[in-house]
Amino acid sequence: MISFFRRHFPPRPRFLNPIVFLLILAAPVLRADTDQPDVAALLGQLDTLTNFQGDFTAEYTEVTQHPGQQPSVYRHDVYRRDRIGAMTIVMRYPDSQKGQGYLEVDNNFWFYDQNSRLFSHASLKENWQNTDAMNSDFFRTNWARDYGAVSWSEGTLGVYPVLILDLKGTNDQVTFPFKKVWIRKDIGILLKAEDYSFSKLLMRTVYYPQYVKIEDHYVADRMLIIDNLNVGAKTEMTLANISLATLPDYTFTKAFLQQVNR
Amino acid sequence: MRFMILAIRNLGRQKRRSFLLGGAIAFGILIVTFVNGFAGGVAGNLEQNFSQLLGGEIFIQGVEKKPSGQRVQVITDEAALSAAIADSRIPVKSVTRSSAFLGTFFFHNNSTVQEVVGVDFDVAAPLRDRLTLVEGSFDGMRNPEGIIIGQQTAQRLKARPGDLVLVQLRTITGQMNVAEFLVAGVSHDPGLSVSFAAYANRAYVNALENLPPEAYQQLGILLSNPETTNAAAAELSRALSRRVVLLPALPKAAGENPIGSMLRQHSENPMGAMVADLMRLASEGSYTGTRYRLSTIDDILGRLQLPQIIAAINGVAFVVLLILFLIIVVGVINTFRIVLNERTREIGTMRALGMQRGRVRSLFLLEALFLFVGGAVVGLIGATLVMALASLASFAPTTPAFLMLRNGHASFMVSPGQIALPIVAVGLLTMLGAWLPARRAARLKPVEALTAVH
Repeated sequence: MISFFRRHFPPRPRFLNPIVFLLILAAPVLRADTDQPDVAALLGQLDTLTNFQGDFTAEYTEVTQHPGQQPSVYRHDVYRRDRIGAMTIVMRYPDSQKGQGYLEVDNNFWFYDQNSRLFSHASLKENWQNTDAMNSDFFRTNWARDYGAVSWSEGTLGVYPVLILDLKGTNDQVTFPFKKVWIRKDIGILLKAEDYSFSKLLMRTVYYPQYVKIEDHYVADRMLIIDNLNVGAKTEMTLANISLATLPDYTFTKAFLQQVNR
Repeated sequence: MRFMILAIRNLGRQKRRSFLLGGAIAFGILIVTFVNGFAGGVAGNLEQNFSQLLGGEIFIQGVEKKPSGQRVQVITDEAALSAAIADSRIPVKSVTRSSAFLGTFFFHNNSTVQEVVGVDFDVAAPLRDRLTLVEGSFDGMRNPEGIIIGQQTAQRLKARPGDLVLVQLRTITGQMNVAEFLVAGVSHDPGLSVSFAAYANRAYVNALENLPPEAYQQLGILLSNPETTNAAAAELSRALSRRVVLLPALPKAAGENPIGSMLRQHSENPMGAMVADLMRLASEGSYTGTRYRLSTIDDILGRLQLPQIIAAINGVAFVVLLILFLIIVVGVINTFRIVLNERTREIGTMRALGMQRGRVRSLFLLEALFLFVGGAVVGLIGATLVMALASLASFAPTTPAFLMLRNGHASFMVSPGQIALPIVAVGLLTMLGAWLPARRAARLKPVEALTAVH
């Protein structure tokens, strides 16, 4: 009976149902449409979480290790007023640099030399002292303004589910034209960032293993910066005495730097 | 005539004494002429060597201010500059278009900071001429990523031709960039504490700096007649002013101890300071478009405070001259006082025989004059011989003072004024030193002189 049917009614080639086929083809797109993270919102949230409406003060310590060199330690105070883009840095250690300072105000970054008592132009894009940190690492962030996502994926970093974003600078002013960031899905804080050069070569990796929550903000109070070019070079940055107390306007003036260590 | 023979004979009576005093005068003239010649030679050689190193005696740099207010160092309007050079009719030997950045070199676990200058190796013949390779060859520069590094840089990195080095730099807008360079050759460092610059292909440097392929940051003009640099620069400046907006000339560096400045700045490429100054200047005023600045090798040497260093060398020569003057004056006074004592009775005899006071004084002064003339002639001949001998010595390009030499040899340049001034001064002082004993000799009374006992 079966052989009769096979002989007279050979089975039709097995094609997928066209609707099912199209659905399968469109699955990634549909998934993207439904799960696509709002990158601009994510980056905006990152800015909101780490920048402050009021003032911010913290004592930073960097311990830098470079191959073949003794570890070097730097300590300084950072004062920020993010709403006007102002920042003052006062060196505390080493003693040879005590009294030096930096002032970011009106989009100008000044360096103050205690010995010559002169101000000179500096750049936020420069390395901080002889460390792997950049001057801009102490300043307010502008993730939403400066970067847009090229691609994204999901993953885990340690025990945390994360969104992994490949970012590209939206202007030619950003220090690193390309970045890859790992953002915790649940609270939207940055756990890891890779900084890439104009030629898309990995230059440094920054880990943010520890945060402290202050009011509605998160402050990474420990960071580890790995120099991917100078193999073996790394800088650990820690924050202490974090405060959101209102600072006098005077703090963000040249006069403050001139008098703070007299 | 007999009077002159008498003066010469008198000098010959105490050969050793005359030889020593004349020798002191000769030595003084020799030292001062030598030091002046050395300082002049150093100044000339520094100017020439820096011109060779930097690729010109006249430089044009441009800064473009974008509508955003951002300033970038770039020249894209080749036509305007070429037309201005043609209009000015200055004697151009060669023109070098270059782009440059300050990079951090990495090789294994070693790193160093070095300026990288991008040039067109196929047309930059003067650069090939002045770079002496100790390893590798210029053939390696056919590779777009080829680079010629200095000896010091190679030693710090422990890199050799064929090695791939990693270089961290910034684009013209300050963005981080990293690139690989293939070491094509290692060049001699011309007597600097660090390598002066590394040289790469301009197209590759432009790509890394995010500059248009045909753009450049500096135009260097090497003149066929370097002595006319200032006049040529003035001509070119006038021609440029008709076509582009020129920024004010490079300001002179603030007063500073020249030796300290030399030690501090010797390791720096002066172009870096020039660019920083240019960017600061270009930030003033509200405008868009490109502004240019013309500078000369003198401006750069002034920036390095080399004229002050030359002045310091001349100052040392002047102090030496003063000390020698003192020695000569004291020596002449003492010698002629001794002569006076020795010849008191002889003077008495001459006076008794009818010689006038003035003739006695003249005899002493004539002796001093012959002493001085002999010393000066011997001193000048000695200086010429010493300078000729010194210029025969050959120094390796690694010699710390190589930039002060001409092709590895010391050279001396002394103006007629620099020769005449010390000679006239020594002559006057010799005569002054002899004047007092001569006057005393002339005032001797014949009777007292004849009866004097020594």
